[in-house]
Amino acid sequence: MKTRLLGIVVTAGILAAGYALWQSPGAPGSGGSIGQVQTRGGQLVASIRAVPRSFNRLIAREQTAELLSLLTQGRLVRINRSTFELEPWLAEKWDVAQDGRTFTLHLRQGVTWSDGAPFTAADVLFTLQAVFDPKNESVVAEQLTIDGKPIAAAAPDDHTVVLTYPAASGPGLRLFDALVILPRHKLEAALKNGTFANAWNSATPPAEIVGTGPFTLREYVPGQRLVLDRNPRYWRKAADGTQLPYLERIVLQVVPDQDAELLRLQAGDIDMTQSELRPDDYVAATRAETQGKLKVVELGVGPDADAFWFDLKPEAWKKDPRFAFVSKREFRQAISYAVDREAFAENVFLAAAVPVWGPITPGNKIWFSPNVLRYPHDVNKAKEVLKSIGLEDRNGNGIVEDAQGHEARFTVITQRGIGWFERGTNELRTQLARAGIALEVAPIDNGALIKRMLSSDYEALYYRPLTTDLDPASNMDFWLSSGSGHFWNLPDESSQGREGPAVQDWEARIDMLMAEQASTTDLEKRKQIFNEVQKTFAENLPVLYFVAPRLYYAHNARVLGVVPSVQRPPALWNADSLSVRGGP
Amino acid sequence: MVRFLLRRLLFAALLVIAVSSGALLLTRFAPGDVTANLGAFAPPDEVARTRARFDLDRSPVAQWGGWALRASRFDFGASFLYNRPVGELIRRAAINTAILAVAALVVATLVGIPLGILTGSRRGAVPAAVRGASLVCLSVPPLLTSLFLVFLASRTGWLPPGGMTSVDVVDASWSAWMLDVAWHLPLPALALALPLAATFERLQSQAMSETIHQPFVVAAMARGVTWRQLLLDHAWRASLRSMCAIYGLAIGALLSGSFIVEYVTAWPGLGRLMYEALRARDIYLVAGCAAMGGLFLAFGSVVADLLLFAADPRVREGQAA
Repeated sequence: MKTRLLGIVVTAGILAAGYALWQSPGAPGSGGSIGQVQTRGGQLVASIRAVPRSFNRLIAREQTAELLSLLTQGRLVRINRSTFELEPWLAEKWDVAQDGRTFTLHLRQGVTWSDGAPFTAADVLFTLQAVFDPKNESVVAEQLTIDGKPIAAAAPDDHTVVLTYPAASGPGLRLFDALVILPRHKLEAALKNGTFANAWNSATPPAEIVGTGPFTLREYVPGQRLVLDRNPRYWRKAADGTQLPYLERIVLQVVPDQDAELLRLQAGDIDMTQSELRPDDYVAATRAETQGKLKVVELGVGPDADAFWFDLKPEAWKKDPRFAFVSKREFRQAISYAVDREAFAENVFLAAAVPVWGPITPGNKIWFSPNVLRYPHDVNKAKEVLKSIGLEDRNGNGIVEDAQGHEARFTVITQRGIGWFERGTNELRTQLARAGIALEVAPIDNGALIKRMLSSDYEALYYRPLTTDLDPASNMDFWLSSGSGHFWNLPDESSQGREGPAVQDWEARIDMLMAEQASTTDLEKRKQIFNEVQKTFAENLPVLYFVAPRLYYAHNARVLGVVPSVQRPPALWNADSLSVRGGP
Repeated sequence: MVRFLLRRLLFAALLVIAVSSGALLLTRFAPGDVTANLGAFAPPDEVARTRARFDLDRSPVAQWGGWALRASRFDFGASFLYNRPVGELIRRAAINTAILAVAALVVATLVGIPLGILTGSRRGAVPAAVRGASLVCLSVPPLLTSLFLVFLASRTGWLPPGGMTSVDVVDASWSAWMLDVAWHLPLPALALALPLAATFERLQSQAMSETIHQPFVVAAMARGVTWRQLLLDHAWRASLRSMCAIYGLAIGALLSGSFIVEYVTAWPGLGRLMYEALRARDIYLVAGCAAMGGLFLAFGSVVADLLLFAADPRVREGQAA
């Protein structure tokens, strides 16, 4: 009898669980039309995967610090992350002098810090002083340095700032999107006594952090969450005159695991994440969209593509005879011919990717050049090109070798635990094997990968270096042979403006072209010069790009006002204009 | 008894020193270091400064010596990830893990031991089903169990799918906060408790089936003791010896098992802290978490000894002798 009773209870439990799974609760409301009227109030819960190390954006470079700066601080101007146009922000308008080097910015009247102190030009001068103080080693100092000299600033009155560039700059005021303006009245003492670099670290009481952004930090529980409340003194209003931000509160919940993050997004436990969907998550997200729980938006082609490159630093190979063919552009061109980009997109990104032939993807609409040299998939052509540099399969083992028998066999390292990196390297191994190039794949920890990359301790690498801005002049460290982001041929720490055999002729040409385009203010002329750069890059292929992913983003359907961006954070960059249904 | 406890405390101290020192040195020798978190193209000056801040510019022995000296004064260094003293971080996380571990241990004990008594003393369909369920719980990795429970919670809405508190308790009273923690506790506690309950069930079952065939049990049966009394007063008590021994290990296992459970369910405990510290090569945080883990293990071992001391007269007699 007891056994039967237990059986009934267990069966009932299983049935109840099954019914609940089948039913699963609907979304908090249905539909999700963008056209709905936005109202003030309510709370939005977003996930973050890592905790901030500092609340001082001039010092911290990580994504969470950038996100917090977008929520709590203001800039003089901002780049709209959707249109990529420059917009007035704390500076209401500006005049450009005829020389193209002097900008007179007129600051908004009546703006106050979140603690009520007035925002003035003195805060701008203070911030620039902090950026250029070498003791602080600010992460934005390099971006605001032209030809090795800092941008000078003066304040004729409380609401005017005059910026004088040491030389003409292509990006012009766009450079100032990187600069959050910090309050002089709160941080001047730290700058004077040399502790600015440690000011506003993550142990600082939230009440100490003031800003001109739409939200203020209310609470930080390490490892758990950050709570931000509406800044009642925020200066911005919506087009209909409604005081922004709409939201009463934003909670940034720390969810380290991406699988759990997606499940919690589907459950309505969090409203949005800070990254685009992984290819594998797209189906689950669209299913949740049909149930009215989520809204899935296509962001477009991502501005960054996975990259594959060999270490082209001669010193790294010492006397390894394989460098004789690795260093030849034909060898890399053969790899480009050997890769079937359509199949690559299908197998690695589940078809959510487009073929690319250079670092600038179609996602970067202003700077993408469709006319760069392309290498259509042709394995026979790849073999021909390899043969032209003395590489062919002489012993019939399927791998090409040079006349001395040195095989084209390499170890490629990639970051462990990232699905598309591991799939990408395996796909590459399969495809290159058809042309006679053997790859051994070694997924390793990210820390070890970066260390090996910086010390040139690798043969080939598969990774996705992220660009900070779509304007190439903001990524000079990638293009210039002396740049710290010139990762296929990193300069030695001691070298200053390398010359000689370490830099190839075509690299020197790119150096020259990039310097020219960065100091040209005419956009069309800059594009022409940069097209030349892309052409040279595609001919020499120091880094090979195969596909750029199409990006999709999912957020709770109750969130209104989302203007998605291909850059991170995809939605919270525009936090002051977000609202939630059923808010107050 | 006093000598016994002193011996145990000495063992605990040695364990903590060995585990934390080992963790520090292993983190030091592992490829990559904390400066990888600065990004691939961090300025060399910043990298050098960070290395100096965490004594990575000194030899491993010198680094360990400096750390051990400071640790002897309860200064475990600072965390790179959190920019806070390690001591502060591990105290907070250890409390959270202790809450989770106690809940899981209680659930595992209340479920595993009665089921073990049942399966060890009876035959039939229900014991067979329990044994099968135990084997499933033992063989499924904690990652899958956690993800399945998060999935179940997110689909059904029966429990919160993660975290330790809701975002709505920011301004709530202390009692509301406690209730909220209790509401979030079942999911991670269940993820931790299921394999542990299965372990308890299997061990208790085996111990029970061996004990009920002992001559003293047969004799008690011949004296007319009821089956219920026989099981609970005689056989179970005698079978407790092996269970007590496993308890200490169970507390240690709860901590190690909590790595992935805390990570997936976003429970802000010691396991998750250590996992994040390991990923970031946050060397002093790793050592601090390992020290606290060692302390947990030593505590579990002492508890196991005390339970054994209380449950088994032969141990008491051995100590007395």
